[in-house]
Amino acid sequence: MVEFRKGQKAKLSDLTPGTDLYVGLRLDAPGLTFDISCFGLDMQDRLSDDRYFVFFNQPKSPEESIQLLGAQAGDQESFRVTLDRVPPQIGKLAFTATIDGQGQMSQVASGYLRIAVGGQEVVRYAFSGVEFSTERAVMIADLYRKEPSVWRFAAVGQGFDGGLKALLENFGGEAAEDEPAQQAAPQAAPAFGAPQQAAPAFGAPGQQAPPQQAPAPQFGPPPGAPQPMAAQQTMPMPQPQQTMPMQQPPGQFPGQPGMPPQGMPPQGMPPQGMPPQGMAPQGHMAPPAPGMPGQQMPGQYPGQPGMPQPGMPPQGMPGQPGMALGTAQGGMNQAGMGPAGLPMEAQYGFGLDQFREVQGQGRWVQQNPKMIRASLAGSTVKVIAKQGSMVAYQGKVDFKFQGQSLRGRFENRQTGQSMELMRCEGDGEVFFAEDAANLHLVELAGHRLCVNAANVLCWDEGLTLEVQRIEGQGIPGGGLFVQTFSGNGTVVVKTMGIPMVLPVNPGAPTFADTNAIVAWTHGMQVSTSTAVRVRRTAYPGHSGETVSLQFRGMQGHFIVVQPYEV
Amino acid sequence: MNQQMMAAYGQQAPVGRMSPHGNKICRVAMQQGYDLFAKQGSMIAYNGFITYSPYRENRGARMRGRAAGETLELMQCSGQGDLYLADYGADVVMLQLQGNGISVNGSNILAFDAQLTKSIEFVSGIANKFSGNGMTNITLTGNGWVAITTRGTPVVLDPSQQETCVDPDALVAWSTGLRIKSKRSARMGALVGRGTGEAMQVAFSGAGFVVVQPSEDSTDRFKIRG
Repeated sequence: MVEFRKGQKAKLSDLTPGTDLYVGLRLDAPGLTFDISCFGLDMQDRLSDDRYFVFFNQPKSPEESIQLLGAQAGDQESFRVTLDRVPPQIGKLAFTATIDGQGQMSQVASGYLRIAVGGQEVVRYAFSGVEFSTERAVMIADLYRKEPSVWRFAAVGQGFDGGLKALLENFGGEAAEDEPAQQAAPQAAPAFGAPQQAAPAFGAPGQQAPPQQAPAPQFGPPPGAPQPMAAQQTMPMPQPQQTMPMQQPPGQFPGQPGMPPQGMPPQGMPPQGMPPQGMAPQGHMAPPAPGMPGQQMPGQYPGQPGMPQPGMPPQGMPGQPGMALGTAQGGMNQAGMGPAGLPMEAQYGFGLDQFREVQGQGRWVQQNPKMIRASLAGSTVKVIAKQGSMVAYQGKVDFKFQGQSLRGRFENRQTGQSMELMRCEGDGEVFFAEDAANLHLVELAGHRLCVNAANVLCWDEGLTLEVQRIEGQGIPGGGLFVQTFSGNGTVVVKTMGIPMVLPVNPGAPTFADTNAIVAWTHGMQVSTSTAVRVRRTAYPGHSGETVSLQFRGMQGHFIVVQPYEV
Repeated sequence: MNQQMMAAYGQQAPVGRMSPHGNKICRVAMQQGYDLFAKQGSMIAYNGFITYSPYRENRGARMRGRAAGETLELMQCSGQGDLYLADYGADVVMLQLQGNGISVNGSNILAFDAQLTKSIEFVSGIANKFSGNGMTNITLTGNGWVAITTRGTPVVLDPSQQETCVDPDALVAWSTGLRIKSKRSARMGALVGRGTGEAMQVAFSGAGFVVVQPSEDSTDRFKIRG
């Protein structure tokens, strides 16, 4: 995923090879509501054809290359753009947001526009209200082309004083015609024959209704186009429409876009549930945590984001076929789940039975997200662990000092990051945990994984270990101390909080904070990059993000980042 | 404002005397005549009419507690209503005692019913070796509810099959009636800088349970507040 800044432009093909795009937008502003729309402009940047003004009242363009999908997956509004089908006269797709009612853009706390392809976010442009003042509309970003098939993406972030009217005039549209249409949305709506008339009482029905349209359920940020159609054909359409109005909590203003019933962004919830794909970036598609009443509202229907859905196979990192580190990742994913398939941090009940030791088979058994048991019995392979990481053991286990090679010790001293180890051997079971951090079992089947030394807890003795130091100015301690594991065996990686796995795209580099990086696959090009421009450092109060690690690699590589900066 | 996000965190129907709210908040359904002892400062919210009074043990118990390095700073809560307790984001484990007993590390106590009998108890044999580390325990017996805190999701081990050794810093609670002894795993090498960081454990055996937390930080967070 690439972060764009205001004014930044890039060829879309550099970001993603896909042309079936999911565009999601979100603007957080207390008390404000937004109309989010997409203008399909001609080569002269004019709205010559009204049918390409896609907004809540006209949810798709004639040939359906631009479709409004409504709120889902944490986005207040989302579009599906099939670039291949956009007619040749359309040269630019401008995504805009207009304040509905009173307010100004400076009140926006935060917002973003993101593009996802095949379930993976490829680019994100984040902005905040400080970039604006009294404007009432904003052109957020453009997808445009000069040559017929070369689409570009531009983060615009341009505000407009006069709101939707100014915006329309800017595009050469006739405000007189469009403005009333918008204000009179409920009345005008039937003319369009769009399916959202079930809720005509709402000022902005489009915000609630579009997810009921056919494309919505099958086209979430997760897997892109090839979705089983059967799932949504059997969807009981009328029912959700009837229950829709009841979902409005009392006291909420009707017609507040951005507050659709289904708009509860799953990722806004606490990390209650982890989808099976655990650490995948699509984590926000988490199934609702058990026992959360707010999510089990009537009127939820299949296809709603956040609902486990048969038609939406939890994607194990699409676009990464033949992953060299399939097992490594599989291990990570598994670790995301608690024992016995319990979601991570599941809600507690009473008593102690729920915390009983998980027997389980195998050498390494995850007891809960934060504790791991290693069975030493019946194996000659010993376990090397960080000193002091044992919390309990059963049976006869000996702990011995594990010496390191002379070179290792020298490096330890050089980096100041000494890692004192112990060797566990015997006939019993050892329980490992540290600092209530989340632990993840990574099985290396001949693959290589680089792990930040601070995030290693223990591993099988048979693994080969190489110590490496990444140098760079600005890294705390002068360098990052990395351990590369290879061979056959298991490494236990600890993370503070639920980590995130970011795939590294071949086209664009992926960046990670040196303080938050946990692990990455071996074989990538790693370098430090200083994001601070010289003039920034001349002033106090720079962004605080001075140095980051840059990863470049082929398909299949990924990095693991934790939500905690050491 | 969209209240649906917050609605998910609203009050839930209580299930018993103590019920969990998430995994870090303990909700106590208070009733007249059924007082509760809670750690001082652990109240985060309440509704209804609940009064709090500092609980002072008799002098003998205070002296003993001070000598043991483990004084329980408790408050007595009485009244009618809902009481919410939490301890610096620690996980809360609630359990009901039915005539049996539980021995809890003093800093891991969050709340317990007043009708339980409590006693400060030295862990025999190893108390002197763990001076200052809180190896005195509060033993609670009777019929009622106990809420204990752990850093991270705990694991309950069964020491009936084989001897279970626990790092004293990760030890939270255990059932009374277990055989306890100290175990020294340090070797001579530890004296010359080749230690393992695991010098001493507490070994349990017998029928019952041992609660272990996934962290070796057992310091009392309330002490920070002073």
